Amino acid sequence: MNDSTQNARPAPRNRLAEFGNHIYRSLFRYGRVPQDAEGQSYAVFNSLFLHIHPVKVSRHSLRFGYTLGLGVIATALFLVLTFTGIWLMFYYFPSASEAYNRMLDLRSAVDFGFVLRNVHKWGAELMVLVVILHMARVFFTGAYKPPREFNWLVGILLLLLTLGLSFTGYLLPWDQLAFWAITVGTSIAGYAPVLGPPLRRFLLGGDVVGQEALVRFYVLHVVILPGLLSIFLAVHFWRIRKDGGLSHPDDNDIPPKGGGR
Amino acid sequence: MKKTNVRMQQPGMDRRTFLTALGLGGVGVSALIAAVGNLLYLKPAVDYGPPTVIRAGRPGEYKEGIKEVLEDQRVVIVRDKKGFAAISITCTHLGCTVGTSDAGFECPCHGSQYDNDGFVTGGPAPRPLDWYQVSIAPNGELEIDKSVKVPPGTFFKA
Amino acid sequence: MNEVNTKHVYPEDPSKTYGLMELVKGTKPTVGLQPDDMVFTWPHLLVRELTLFVVVVAVLLVLAFLFNAPLEELANPNHPPNPAKAPWYFLGLQELVSYSAVIGGVMIPTLIVLGLALVPFVDRKRTGIGVWFAKERSLANGLFLTFLILMLVLIIVGMFFRGPNWGFVIPWESAQ
Repeated sequence: MNDSTQNARPAPRNRLAEFGNHIYRSLFRYGRVPQDAEGQSYAVFNSLFLHIHPVKVSRHSLRFGYTLGLGVIATALFLVLTFTGIWLMFYYFPSASEAYNRMLDLRSAVDFGFVLRNVHKWGAELMVLVVILHMARVFFTGAYKPPREFNWLVGILLLLLTLGLSFTGYLLPWDQLAFWAITVGTSIAGYAPVLGPPLRRFLLGGDVVGQEALVRFYVLHVVILPGLLSIFLAVHFWRIRKDGGLSHPDDNDIPPKGGGR
Repeated sequence: MKKTNVRMQQPGMDRRTFLTALGLGGVGVSALIAAVGNLLYLKPAVDYGPPTVIRAGRPGEYKEGIKEVLEDQRVVIVRDKKGFAAISITCTHLGCTVGTSDAGFECPCHGSQYDNDGFVTGGPAPRPLDWYQVSIAPNGELEIDKSVKVPPGTFFKA
Repeated sequence: MNEVNTKHVYPEDPSKTYGLMELVKGTKPTVGLQPDDMVFTWPHLLVRELTLFVVVVAVLLVLAFLFNAPLEELANPNHPPNPAKAPWYFLGLQELVSYSAVIGGVMIPTLIVLGLALVPFVDRKRTGIGVWFAKERSLANGLFLTFLILMLVLIIVGMFFRGPNWGFVIPWESAQ
């Protein structure tokens, strides 16, 4: 490694340059944009953010026609929603008397408030759609088959969490649409035998949709569900690598017990 | 290895296994208690909603055959020959607010229909509208307790 | 794990700049793959991911400037809209609930989730992986497609064909 990095960079000519180079190296350990195979490898596995990827991937998994990019799109949407969601929290108030006013303010008074709200809303609708499509892609390509059964289960959990996030977020504007959609939705939950009515009371913090329900949905929406989703998203990515990358025609007809699993 | 073999031959549990089981059991029970505690914490204990006991004016203010809707309380006061009744206007199907119709009540959300006594006559509603307990408060006003449900058809004679 | 003949896989050669780093459990021997089947994550995968991310943000921004997120009047518990509708992805459920709350609202969704969870444990045959609509899997794919279309039809009916009192309406006629 030392040899190659020194070859890649000319020796510093004076002390200042050496000092600058030292700082630069401590921040960006492996230099500039990687040029060779070694640099490309280090760039991935020495970066906290990139090392969820393997150093090399199969061409098959890069084919857009195979994945349609749905998993990446869903992840991108989640990141955008996290960002816009945190930004919206600066103005939002989970109060039955205040929440709706804040919506009006976001729409008219706050600079670019409408953009953040609209991006968050449309991003959320798209995320539900994309996650469902992603599940369909995985099914139609047989990508849930061994050894990927567990990741299919994690995927189902992620779909449910996505629906939960969308549903809890639906109440927050506190308009007619929100109020009645949640009234209807939680009433459906109340029909479940034994667990239904207490679950509904837990969700609403009472018997009707009101201030308590708003606070509970808010906490679920901004802390608990995104936290859970992040954790299981990490598991989802981790399993992709442990299962040998994305599904591939080479996975066919391998005896289930093979390979020391 | 030899020592463990000797232990294995002894009848019953050896000390190490016993202590391990005891320790794990203790952790398990504590975790269970903690879980129950957390659930109880989240269980709505205080009702911050509107008060469940409401006053609805003097009995004399209601004429016979009247159906007086108290919108904010989501209840309708009915007076007929048999007396007074307080019927919930929350649809038993999915929680919408029902409106009054000639035949009784009708839910705008999903079309459930009820007769004048709140019994289902059509639509997806699974059970009749709730009837609340009616009584007379010490000051002579009608008092409705929405936390106490009474069987449909229970009229209060003032 | 079986003994791996590392000398065969990674011949010792002093001129090589790489060595055997670790043995990884896996379902398929990577040595079987043609070397040119694999490409470097940097830049091939990362460029694609970044491009998709930028496209997603761009599409969202365009949507955000073109269409405002819906906002109705302040919530009013006394005046339900007619009809009151759940979010779009629950409209299929609501349609089912309008027939029977317990079967449609509880049993069917529970069965759907359970059924989905059981999919990889029922269909264990390792054929047709890695290709769209493999011929070997036409039964499974057909069933799943039917399920998706059914859900879609229910959602469309709930979205467009349900009017006041959850009665059946024809959208293009009621608009007049």
